[in-house]
Amino acid sequence: MLNIEEIQKILPQKFPFLMLDRVLELEPGKKITALKNVSINEGFFAGHFPDMPVMPGALIIEAMAQAAIIMFYSPEKNPADKKTAYYLGAVKVRFLHPVSVGDQLKITVEPIKVISGAGLVKAKAEVGDKEVASGELSFSVQHG
Amino acid sequence: MPDLENEIRNMIAEIVEKDPSEVTPDAKFFEELGMDSMMALEIMAGMEKKYKITIPEEKLTKLTTLRETVAVAKEYLEKTNA
Repeated sequence: MLNIEEIQKILPQKFPFLMLDRVLELEPGKKITALKNVSINEGFFAGHFPDMPVMPGALIIEAMAQAAIIMFYSPEKNPADKKTAYYLGAVKVRFLHPVSVGDQLKITVEPIKVISGAGLVKAKAEVGDKEVASGELSFSVQHG
Repeated sequence: MPDLENEIRNMIAEIVEKDPSEVTPDAKFFEELGMDSMMALEIMAGMEKKYKITIPEEKLTKLTTLRETVAVAKEYLEKTNA
């Protein structure tokens, strides 16, 4: 399990763009399960939408991508003094139910195919036992 | 395996968002079909899933035309069934 301090050490994204609060399970390179608590204080709810708070699907994808970064993180490959850049390549995600205030998103990511410098992963997001989004993300990695 | 070429053609067409008729055996993926390396990885992963084979990373650079891609799939299908 990783708490928010440990998550912040790994992710290049910072406030207000941290889309994960906690990592529940982590098998480096193999599987990750992480949580994102959705609160009314999220800045995006001010505009999305004023009368009906719905978490933007793009941010659910971002949460999946950040979980993937943590899954592939290793201290040897990503030393603190070298910057690593992650580029999302393609996204194929289906949104099944809206996500709103009070929901706890559980994000699960597993690799489909990984090669040096790039990867394709399978990701899903659940609220309770209901799947709210699922799909595939591809990305490339550049070590600075 | 008469359908192999057609199946792979359709898979490639979907990934590069072209009509399958444009994916001729020798149409060059990168120059003619607008493919990038992420798409090539998707094709590799798609073939692995569909045919239950494992294609090593170094073969990624061989995926340059439909003809070459079918040849790679055949090679690993034969190895798996051998």
